[in-house]
Amino acid sequence: MEMELKEIRGTFKPELIPPECGGGIDDYEEALHVLMKFVGSMANALEQVSGRGANAIVYQAGKRMGHDAGKLMEKTDNLENAMQELSQILGKEFYFEMWKPSSQESFTIERSGETEVKLLFRDCVVRQTLRRTGLPQKGPLCYLLYGYMVGAVEEVMDIKGKLDINHIGPNACLKTLTINWGGK
Amino acid sequence: MVKIKIDEDACVGCGSCVEDCPNDVYEMDEAKNKTRIIKEEDCMACLSCHEICPAQAMEHQDIHVAKRLYIDRKVNNTINKII
Ligand code: SF4
Ligand code: SF4
Repeated sequence: MEMELKEIRGTFKPELIPPECGGGIDDYEEALHVLMKFVGSMANALEQVSGRGANAIVYQAGKRMGHDAGKLMEKTDNLENAMQELSQILGKEFYFEMWKPSSQESFTIERSGETEVKLLFRDCVVRQTLRRTGLPQKGPLCYLLYGYMVGAVEEVMDIKGKLDINHIGPNACLKTLTINWGGK
Repeated sequence: MVKIKIDEDACVGCGSCVEDCPNDVYEMDEAKNKTRIIKEEDCMACLSCHEICPAQAMEHQDIHVAKRLYIDRKVNNTINKII
């Protein structure tokens, strides 16, 4: 089968990348889909080879990334500010907001030295990648994100955090972030 | 706030949405053997009910529609022309 290929030609100087390399929306789409398939297959293979231990390893890796990203942000002990910083770290591809059922008065619940807050992830690249690869919304890729979030929150708030998944859906996922004020 | 509409003619009364919804938005109307919305205000627009409903009987209005960059635009455009 012959493939239609539009060759990019330009002049290349050191330290100066020609703007033609940027490509158009079709190039970005194709590249994104290839990456989604690669990353999805890699996560799947990791789980098949290492079993559920893969989640723990990837979670730790994500946590380290989160701590590194959190170091660039301002420290705060205010949960709302921390959530704002977290959304800056995650970027708009992981758009989330705090959520509560109508019967609950405030977004946070205090429980024996711990604070719980529910986060509703509206947009998520991990979800999109898994769906692109036909995989269920769980496993190592999700754990990488959990670790990343927990690491970032721990870093900006100087606390110990935990993230539990409550529900996954094709349009939004609900998670509970638990903050232990006892510190790290 | 999310507005949910159920097409009662389409609903086959299987109860899957009642079982699946994490926020108990639906309950079964036993007399009619159809689903009924009882807690619309607790809907978080996860759309799990859409995925499980065999009759595609529900519609969620005015919700955040999550990005789906995994969709192949070329295939999608072709389908849109056919449908
Ligand atoms: S979208 Fe989610 S929360 Fe809303 S009714 Fe459906 S399953 Fe329940
Ligand atoms: S899942 Fe669909 S068909 Fe089944 S009870 Fe709910 S609305 Fe009706």
